[in-house]
Amino acid sequence: MKFKDYYEVFGVPRDATQDDIKRAYRKLARKYHPDVSKDADADVRFKELGEAYAVLKDPEKRAAYDQMGSQWKAGQDFQPPPDWDAGFEFSGRDFGSGADSVHSDFFEALFGRHARGGQRPGMHARGQDHHAKVLIDLEDAYRGAQRSITLRMPVPDEHGRIALRERTLDVRIPKGIRAGQHLRLAGQGEPGIGEGGPGDLFLEIEFKPHAQFRVIGPDVYLDLPLAPWEAALGSSVTVPTPEGSVQLTIPAGSAAGRQLRLKGKGIPGKTPGDLYAVLTIALPPAVSENEKAAYRAMAEAFDFNARAPMKG
Amino acid sequence: MSKTEIQSIQGLVVEEDIPLTLEDLCQACCAPREYVVAWVVEGVLEPLGETPPDWRFTGASLRRARLALWLTRDLEVNLSGVALALDLLDEIAELKAHQQRLGSR
Repeated sequence: MKFKDYYEVFGVPRDATQDDIKRAYRKLARKYHPDVSKDADADVRFKELGEAYAVLKDPEKRAAYDQMGSQWKAGQDFQPPPDWDAGFEFSGRDFGSGADSVHSDFFEALFGRHARGGQRPGMHARGQDHHAKVLIDLEDAYRGAQRSITLRMPVPDEHGRIALRERTLDVRIPKGIRAGQHLRLAGQGEPGIGEGGPGDLFLEIEFKPHAQFRVIGPDVYLDLPLAPWEAALGSSVTVPTPEGSVQLTIPAGSAAGRQLRLKGKGIPGKTPGDLYAVLTIALPPAVSENEKAAYRAMAEAFDFNARAPMKG
Repeated sequence: MSKTEIQSIQGLVVEEDIPLTLEDLCQACCAPREYVVAWVVEGVLEPLGETPPDWRFTGASLRRARLALWLTRDLEVNLSGVALALDLLDEIAELKAHQQRLGSR
């Protein structure tokens, strides 16, 4: 396992005060919270911050961590020395930031055993619920899908020591699922203590960005470029949808920005969404003599001032 | 790290199949009951039902409650600050949706 330098995560010196650490955490957490951040790796950064904060905000854990000495560098191979934490008491199951209690193997090796309250005999508690995000393709929501997800979970061994175990779950994603919805996998969260049952696992669904389609709730949008004459005279064009192509009639006199609705062609469900084709006009370049002549003929034929709406 | 066998399982969609009770939501978000009650009173969460035992939360509450918990616990934002932050995030989401509808013009 690799050593983690929790001070480096916050960019603070080892003698930083609790207030410095709190300030550094808040500043970075605001920046990297996945619901707020635009960063692609916000999820990873935020987890790293949560783990570092779980150790450094707690004076007991921080002292134990500091005791390992400052000679360690981030990324170095590391095994905790035997009885490294003798004399320290860690309290409580309530731990870290929010509900994401799955930390690195480094963290689990140092603090995992204590984080779960030492598992005294006769103690019973239901395991915590866990949360994870799953990225799927928009097409999966139309058809349903099977997804393998790999989770790392702290599990106590026969000596009560916590080790990280990797579990692969083959999850069926039902047809009609929408971004932001949650799947609950009963009993797949943290194991319980004593006779307490395991917690649940909640999977939040997110769609991978699509080159062509945009999704808002159950509705799907796509830009449909038209030649000026197709928009002006009307036409029938082939439009891609996540379920395959359909033929769409463009009414004569369509302007850019007009939205044509394909009812029920959005994400399926009890109330299926719609698919909207947002019209755009693509301007053909005038390169050859013929093409230029055609534009000149248009200029002659139309009494059209593109800037008429501008006053002055 | 040890590996175990692959399990095949099917989940339920919280938003469609499972209305969450107050206890369910507290357990799912690891949030103390009094926090969740305070968020409902402040309008951060809007369950169906009149009294706490009757409250039924939708799946959208899961995300909101987890965010509210993080703001409260880690950033030490107070109750009205949490409500304000969530309102603003809703507004940003709406603006983004509006932008998406318009497309790349």
